Amino acid sequence: MLRRIAAWIDERAKVGDLYREQMIEYKVPKNLTFPYVFGVLALITFALQIVSGIILIMYYKPVIAHAFDSTNYTIMREIDFGWLFRHIHAAGANFFLAIVYLHMFTGIYYNAYKKPRELVWIVGWVIYFTLLVTALTGYLLPWGQLSYWGTVVTTEIPASLADAPVLKGIFGAIGETISIWMKGGYKLEDLALGRFFGLHVVFLPLILLGLVAIHLFLVRAAGISNPEGYEIDKKNEPEKLVPFHPYVTLKEGAIAMWYLALFFFFVFFYMSHFLPADNFEPADPLKTPPHIAPEWYLLGFYEVFRSIPSKFWGFVAFNLILLLLLLLPFLDFSPLRSARRRPLFFVMFLVFVISSMALTILGTMSPTPTNAKLGMFFTALVFLFFLSLPVISFVEWGWYKARGGQA
Amino acid sequence: MSAAGLIKTVFFTLITVGFFFIIWVYNPFAHKEVYELPEEAARIVGDPKAALEGRELFKQSCSSCHSVRYDGVYLMSVEAKPEWQKILKTMGKPILETQDGKVKIKGYYLPRDVYEAVALQDLENLKASFGKVPPDLSTIYLARGPGYLYQFIMDPQKVLPGTSMPKLFFPEYDKEAPQKVAKIVAYLRSVSEPSPSEKAKRLVMGVATVGYFILMGFILWFYRKRVLEKMGIS
Repeated sequence: MLRRIAAWIDERAKVGDLYREQMIEYKVPKNLTFPYVFGVLALITFALQIVSGIILIMYYKPVIAHAFDSTNYTIMREIDFGWLFRHIHAAGANFFLAIVYLHMFTGIYYNAYKKPRELVWIVGWVIYFTLLVTALTGYLLPWGQLSYWGTVVTTEIPASLADAPVLKGIFGAIGETISIWMKGGYKLEDLALGRFFGLHVVFLPLILLGLVAIHLFLVRAAGISNPEGYEIDKKNEPEKLVPFHPYVTLKEGAIAMWYLALFFFFVFFYMSHFLPADNFEPADPLKTPPHIAPEWYLLGFYEVFRSIPSKFWGFVAFNLILLLLLLLPFLDFSPLRSARRRPLFFVMFLVFVISSMALTILGTMSPTPTNAKLGMFFTALVFLFFLSLPVISFVEWGWYKARGGQA
Repeated sequence: MSAAGLIKTVFFTLITVGFFFIIWVYNPFAHKEVYELPEEAARIVGDPKAALEGRELFKQSCSSCHSVRYDGVYLMSVEAKPEWQKILKTMGKPILETQDGKVKIKGYYLPRDVYEAVALQDLENLKASFGKVPPDLSTIYLARGPGYLYQFIMDPQKVLPGTSMPKLFFPEYDKEAPQKVAKIVAYLRSVSEPSPSEKAKRLVMGVATVGYFILMGFILWFYRKRVLEKMGIS
């Protein structure tokens, strides 16, 4: 009976054809390495975030008189398993960003942003940016001390435009307008909480869903990149390709299970980082906590902003890093792909990875003059990475031509 | 895999794991203050029975300034209002507790805005005498931890110079003072943390969930091996 129903549906919806086309007849390179799994893991984490988020919306109240209590009393104590969903959502946010960073560094390492995949990278960058905004808006919702003061600091960063060397008046007005527009007034109140809530639960997730769909479509359209850095010829070397299902699905499925095991280990046994102690104090606009810093996924940018003495140039610098990241496919125009075949690029990639990590860790430390100097040093290294890309590409074009146009 | 490839893999794995360990688990570079909790006090703080005594002590010594709304403990002066019981029953939600298999009403949870409206004058009076409204202590255990709370209640000025919190327990005159303070901390802990039975449940759930995913991972891995053998792909 069930089989007949399935056949009836399949006859009309052609699900079977779709499955065959998209899963079995879809061939991927056999030599995909472990880091290629991060895309799937990000997708799984996104699903977890949506499911746990839907459950949290049912009990959360976006009004400042009730926001803190609805999170810490209703969700954490009254509702059965409310704590579990809050833990999943809080840990999930951190894991999501972590996986997305790993996915991005993988993309950079294997040069997965090069022709014909520039759009994959650009859409991916927009996903990353939207994700940062989603994280920022969600961070305010529990209305604890960290949420409140973290958001105050973030919404005041555009106001540092007033520090501009020229046209102070205009830059100042622009900065203040952005800052007020983000907060809905001069103070963070119900208005800000309401719009952050709306953005976080409806607008941004919808955009993310759409962008992820486009991202996946583009990956399929351009084909998956290869760690060896060349496009596999489907007709002449079919032995290098394997069917997506079951070769990749089962491998990534197994890794995804272990990833979930790690994730739930944190959810059940180690939440002290994802639900920081300071945020269990209700927001108090009259009491500034001693150490305010954004979450770890923004600390790198924050450290760039903080270590540069002029606020204006700090603001410009970290926005420039974001912009250079977007322009990566055009900065790196070398015909060679993948750090495996590009020793110069490999060295600069190491510089980039290590400086990003160092900047993030420096961001957790107190802002002493030595730390500020170190911050400037690593900021310079990050810029060096981006600026070295055109030079490396130029040199590699020379090698490419010397070898008669072979990679 | 070539030797160079192996070195690269190990290196990238190590820096990634090391980075997330520093950021998420233990950061030796970040400044963190440590407040010591004496061994005897630590034993009392972990004892659920001490928490019950601590609740009474809290009501006697602390509730003239502090409320614990999540546990249905309010300011003494507010609880003395004639209309108070009616307010609790009409505007509040019962806080349930299971005792010997029976469900009992432990107190009432009152939404913050309702409470602050009813207690407006009392809170203003406290503000007039202390300079600020003494905070509600429902989540203070999670925010500050047992060591800080113990040291702070024993000697507020030493931990937070300039605070308007008075010193209430004097070991010089009252030999029981450290135990009493530990009992109050035990009470605050019982308000913020899940009960021991609930904790045991969560432990079982956690082990089962993590174990399930590890097992499923292995099953998929070996299933894949068999499928690939059948298909002739190595």
